[in-house]
Amino acid sequence: MKLKQLLLSSLVFVSASAWADPTYRLFVTNEKSNSVSVIDSRTGKVETTLNIGDRPRGIGLSPDQKTLYVALSEENAIGMVDVQTLEFLGKLDAGDDPETFDVHPNGNLYLSNEDDAKATVLNPSTGKVIKEIRVGLEPEGVAVSPTGEIALVTSESTNMVHVIDTKEYKVIANILVAARPRGLAFNSDGSMAYVSSEIGNELAIIDTKTFTITKKVVLDIPKSKPMAIKISPDDQTLYLTTGRAAKVAILDAKTLELKATVEVGKRVWGAELSRDGSTLYTANGVSDTVSVVDTATQKTTMNINVGKKPWGLALDD
Amino acid sequence: MIKVKVWAAAAALIWTQTVFAEVLDVTIHYVGPTEGSAWLGVQQGISEANLQGEFLGQTYTIKQVKADGVAGLENVSAVLVAGDVSTIENAASSLSDIPVFNLSADDDALRAACLPNLLNIPASQQMKQDASKQWLAKNPESTAHIQGWHEDFKKFAASQLNSRFTKSHGTIMDDTAWSGWAAVKMISDTVARTQSDDGTKILDYLKNDITFDGQKGAGATFRETGQLRQLVLVVENNKIVAEAPLRGVKGGLDSLGLLSCKK
Repeated sequence: MKLKQLLLSSLVFVSASAWADPTYRLFVTNEKSNSVSVIDSRTGKVETTLNIGDRPRGIGLSPDQKTLYVALSEENAIGMVDVQTLEFLGKLDAGDDPETFDVHPNGNLYLSNEDDAKATVLNPSTGKVIKEIRVGLEPEGVAVSPTGEIALVTSESTNMVHVIDTKEYKVIANILVAARPRGLAFNSDGSMAYVSSEIGNELAIIDTKTFTITKKVVLDIPKSKPMAIKISPDDQTLYLTTGRAAKVAILDAKTLELKATVEVGKRVWGAELSRDGSTLYTANGVSDTVSVVDTATQKTTMNINVGKKPWGLALDD
Repeated sequence: MIKVKVWAAAAALIWTQTVFAEVLDVTIHYVGPTEGSAWLGVQQGISEANLQGEFLGQTYTIKQVKADGVAGLENVSAVLVAGDVSTIENAASSLSDIPVFNLSADDDALRAACLPNLLNIPASQQMKQDASKQWLAKNPESTAHIQGWHEDFKKFAASQLNSRFTKSHGTIMDDTAWSGWAAVKMISDTVARTQSDDGTKILDYLKNDITFDGQKGAGATFRETGQLRQLVLVVENNKIVAEAPLRGVKGGLDSLGLLSCKK
């Protein structure tokens, strides 16, 4: 959800002053304590904890980074918070069991409805559902391409990546991948997408012109169940959380060669990378912590206590 | 540069899952009652297989056959059997090279027989006994018993499967229903990946290549005995108290049941 740069370069008429200075706040959803931890990423201190709704999971920022969105799975809603003031802005109806989402450059949310085998396109400024799109069982990961032309959705129980045309709101391709696909990410120009498969223990590269898999690897890490994917700003390095293996895997983003692993907390799922690529944050669901990883030294520098079962992260930097 | 391109094109050919393939109509044969757990599980599997097929170009139909009709079947993709030991054994013996799924019997004899085409989905008696021993070693007073599935099982997306099943059928998913669902789901997974409804190819993939997501944790594979490797649940007073293999037990999933065939 690092859209600021892209928007600045593509919409030259938009003044940079449209964005407030970043708060450097790191927001973390705590699935089991029904809260969002707000961490000052510069100090690692928990600034406050927000209680905005039940079973928060997916989390992200609006393109202008002024609004924080949180998927409240138990309430079938998206909660909104003002990033600067931390004021609760209300909830939007998001259909049955929203799990996670990504934000389109135009501001719309593409979200997965886990219990309903569909993806929903939601306009947060009007609160209106633009479209519901039928996908496979247990849809989970969502990623909108940097240019906004396509959105990808994984369906965990039907082992597919669905490609959605964001003009027509239609599924235009389906790519079968290894068992229980979860995480998705694009490289910076959107020419390649990455997908992780939790049960298949696999990572694959999808060519977004042909919608075919061009490369894949099975992770050689004990107990690994791959989940969230982050790509470095220079597109060279891929960071992958591995669930029960309690590690972040660092891979060459082109060859998918495993370069290193970094110890983080237990059942590591969500991840966020700072804009400059220097710091990776992970949500560790069993340790109830957020790990801070220095990507240059490939070491965990801090573990921050948060709420119960931390799930996802969003950084305003 | 040219080399890279050639390689990439070759890789794309190998790994491409055909997006708009011709529709493949797959018939799965079934021996057993058309009511009760096994049947409902099979129905759940069929509906999920057809949802996947909508996107990938397959349709799935279930066709009931009598036990004595199995031997005469031709061009079979797979046969599911919910019945007693002899019905299952006869079905498997009469169709070599075609996968025959045991949905209902936990008898160790069906595993020890090591029939090359019999795939046993339920946890065997010995798996349950081994699980029980692991539990009793730490909890000697317990009156718990072992199940393959439970309606309150939540981990590994089990809760999503339980809620889908109950929503569709108005009843809980039990061991046999799970077996019916799992058998169809792994057949459809195999057909989608091999783009073939040929029984021999399906059997080969199931025995050698599948990593099946049974919504019970680690990817499931088959032993040479034809037994599906899987965790089981320790249940006391209808509440799940543990998963077996218990944490820390050597061998993991292979601490449960018969591992290999007599040579």
